[in-house]
Amino acid sequence: MNKKLAQLIFLSNRINRQHVQLVVVILSLAMLILGIGAPSDGGGPTRGRLVGGV
Amino acid sequence: MILLAALVLGLPAGWGLARWQGRQYRAPDLKYLWLIPAAFAPQLVVAYWPATRELLPPPAAAAALPVSLVAFLAFVWLNRGLPGMPVLLVGLVLNLVVLAANGGWMPISPETASQLPGGSAPEAAVLEMRIGEKDILLRPEDTRLELLSDRFLLPDWIGYRAAFSLGDMFVAAGAFWLLASPPRAPNPNRRENAHI
Repeated sequence: MNKKLAQLIFLSNRINRQHVQLVVVILSLAMLILGIGAPSDGGGPTRGRLVGGV
Repeated sequence: MILLAALVLGLPAGWGLARWQGRQYRAPDLKYLWLIPAAFAPQLVVAYWPATRELLPPPAAAAALPVSLVAFLAFVWLNRGLPGMPVLLVGLVLNLVVLAANGGWMPISPETASQLPGGSAPEAAVLEMRIGEKDILLRPEDTRLELLSDRFLLPDWIGYRAAFSLGDMFVAAGAFWLLASPPRAPNPNRRENAHI
């Protein structure tokens, strides 16, 4: 009985760890592509502030 | 935000592929994950967080994006062996080059910007003004490497207006590929099989 319980706990830990790992990776990838990409989806030329000469 | 569509599409594609092959979906084995928030931090300050967008003086703010992209470049290079990462690397380099060539910001023309939500007529545009998170309004003739700027628009039938660059296309394709090609689970019988 104890062995089965231990196996069950081990399995649930493993599944949880995989899920947590997946969530962390997805969030990191979201940050990665937001950081690397530079699309513009609005705002128009009236928002923001003046930047020094290019 | 349109780039997040690559994740939204890539995840179910990879999960479906894994199910079809009769295995469990696993996250890509990314190394040096801590580099991502570290690289993103400068962008959070100068581009994404409204409270801090105006804090840095313009030269420091203009340097923040290229510095951030160089840090991302290190991460992508260290993970270049994963599927999709070489494509992502191409997109990163293209965006980094055009940013660096145009004072640290992604150029967008008044004509393109006028077609985005909230955009005003091109003739009313104030040049060299920041728009959105990372863009700067520049005439095409004043833009270096204009081919790599935010010059493409999503088609009308999508119902969402956004401008993006050639580099963004590579970034989206690489991210999709990465998630749609999950690593195979390590085979527990591999050691035994090796003796056969």
